[in-house]
Amino acid sequence: MKSVKIKQLIEKIEGEAELDFTFNDGLIEDVKINFGFYRGIEEILRGKDARDALVITPRVCGICNHAHLLAAVDAIEDGYKKAGQNIVLSSKAKDIRAFTLACELIQNHIKWFYMTIFPQLEAYVEVKSEVNYAMKATYLASTITKALAIFAGQWPHSSYAVPGGVTCDPTHLDVMQAQSLVDESIRFFEQVITGLSLDDYLGIDSVSSLGKIEGDFGNLLYMMGSHHMSEIGQSYDRFIVFGECGLSKAGKSIVTNVSNVDVRYVKEALQEGTVAKAVSYKERLYEVGPLARGMVAKTPIVKSLHKRYKDSLLTRVFARVHEVALLLDYSKTLLQNLELDAPSCTLERGTELSDFEGTGVVEAARGSLIHTTTVKNGLITNYEIITPTQWNLSHGNEKEQGIAIKAMVGSKTMEEATFIFRTFDVCSVCTTQ
Amino acid sequence: MFITPKPTLLWLQAITCNGNTHSFLNHPDLFSILSHFEIVHHPSLESSYTMEDVINGEVPCDVLILEGSFIDEGFLKAGVEVSSLIHTYATKAKHIISAGTCATFGGIFKQKDPENISGFCFDLEEKTSRYDTYASKLISLPGCPMHPKWMSYVLLMLAANKKIAIDNLHRPVELYGYTVHTGCTRNEYFEWKIDTKNYGLKEGCLFYEQGCQGPYTRGSCNKILWNDISSKTRAGTPCFGCTEPTFPKASLFHTQTNMGIPAKMPLGVPRRAYLTLTGVVKSFKIKRFTTRLLEYDE
Repeated sequence: MKSVKIKQLIEKIEGEAELDFTFNDGLIEDVKINFGFYRGIEEILRGKDARDALVITPRVCGICNHAHLLAAVDAIEDGYKKAGQNIVLSSKAKDIRAFTLACELIQNHIKWFYMTIFPQLEAYVEVKSEVNYAMKATYLASTITKALAIFAGQWPHSSYAVPGGVTCDPTHLDVMQAQSLVDESIRFFEQVITGLSLDDYLGIDSVSSLGKIEGDFGNLLYMMGSHHMSEIGQSYDRFIVFGECGLSKAGKSIVTNVSNVDVRYVKEALQEGTVAKAVSYKERLYEVGPLARGMVAKTPIVKSLHKRYKDSLLTRVFARVHEVALLLDYSKTLLQNLELDAPSCTLERGTELSDFEGTGVVEAARGSLIHTTTVKNGLITNYEIITPTQWNLSHGNEKEQGIAIKAMVGSKTMEEATFIFRTFDVCSVCTTQ
Repeated sequence: MFITPKPTLLWLQAITCNGNTHSFLNHPDLFSILSHFEIVHHPSLESSYTMEDVINGEVPCDVLILEGSFIDEGFLKAGVEVSSLIHTYATKAKHIISAGTCATFGGIFKQKDPENISGFCFDLEEKTSRYDTYASKLISLPGCPMHPKWMSYVLLMLAANKKIAIDNLHRPVELYGYTVHTGCTRNEYFEWKIDTKNYGLKEGCLFYEQGCQGPYTRGSCNKILWNDISSKTRAGTPCFGCTEPTFPKASLFHTQTNMGIPAKMPLGVPRRAYLTLTGVVKSFKIKRFTTRLLEYDE
């Protein structure tokens, strides 16, 4: 038995991380994940006006800033409700928020697909295609964030969601422009990513019809299939979702058994050797993100892949790319049904509360994002942020290794392990805040 | 045929959220702009060197883009202080671009540890000890995040060997000579001192009650628009002054007032001039500005 430790710097993951691998007899038996710098957003928020969180928290993360905004506003609204202030968002405000969040998720997934997975997989399987994947990524990402900006003013770092609704007051012209940008994104998905119409793609509900997928996604599935990626990267087969939105419902899935969850049982704990905090639900670790959403919502194709390949690398990657199709379809529907005559913001000016505590939950690109704000005399006395990557990338607890670590354990090479690591769509800045 | 090598471009991150990186990735002409340079390293684009090479100090660097706030000690990458990396490449570079408010003035992350965290050459508006060493090659692009077209302006000016006119904080005047107020679709309401009645309305100005800092914040946001289509104020959100050394101030959704008049005046406007105009316009009641925009009919 020979134990060897090797350190590896992982870059281009919204910052960097250092992985310390322990090999035993040629197989990885443990990994320590270390992230860099603690920026202290929660501390920065203390003593600030409650609504300043709508400006400060998006700056946790350049790629999922919008999810932070929506979690922050949700936390304030939850606090108002618990303090007795009746807030009912108009359908318009709800739908616009859902639309802009969907746009951000599409942007994220597509950057991950083209700028992380493709170059890393090609390097891993030693293929060099000379394709400018980043150009494809940024074309689609900038198209869909432009649709977002029609309502939110800008991306990144908008603060257009305020207690009671949204600040924008769109016209039919605005909605038409957004529709065109969504249509353009769908065209790209059809012609470049899958070689199928969106409807035909969404009709795929079992592993046996995956062969219909062409385009870049087809290539990716082929490369992953021919390198046995359906057999690696399995974790605990335990998933959790806290945010309710058009695509997701809250719940947890263990193997295939789906049941209810309550955000009050989420616990955060400090971990040695890293500035990232670990998160658990009733003392157990869970995976969050698109695969978790697919498992809890019982998305047919995700269930079919899971039935055959469990929570392997292939299933995890597929679930995230698949979500792009669901989100494109969903965002199109949202715009079609937008009730422009409804008020944008239902909370009257000057009715802000100054003492409350509330929790906001949003399904961000990488999974459930939770903000809790405590406000006294109008000022924040405490602010807690739990990011999705804290779930997936923790070291674990006394009983078990962390989710991503478990997925890497058993790998023969660092190349394989780091590729598995990247399929979790790692975000360094969110993990350490 | 003699081929001049392209200038090398290194994008280096300190204490950041990556917002400037993602803002720049949204540039519609991203790859034609970058084609003037060799990208030696970038936080997300494929580059000719690895982060380890960067950390080893071996990478060429003609243009250094800095993103994120600066701290002398305590932020390490692979065991090396990021501050020492920044000094290494800032010394090598012919041009330094501080991308975003954090790298320029300290920004949000400064508030975690105001004594030790700052911008690279400025700490809020004050010059840091590093200023004299690097000032001759410094261009500031504050903004949280910076607009992608501010970066492309600087890069293309450098690629064309043109001189960039800057102000005392090293901001290009062609970008920061404007205020965010310039081009705001709510300007008529500002002129006639009509406050917006609530969030979520096209009508009314956000300067009087909602905390909008557009009239005294520098930046061409409303001239060139964000994502080529909109802006905060066009979407009904106040400008939070994110390009300013003071960003972020407290109570961002609330206008500080003295006797009902905004405490901070539009850029360069004397208080007396402002009050005189206000007195005049407030003596009129103009129906169009108190009616919903799409419902007004003569």
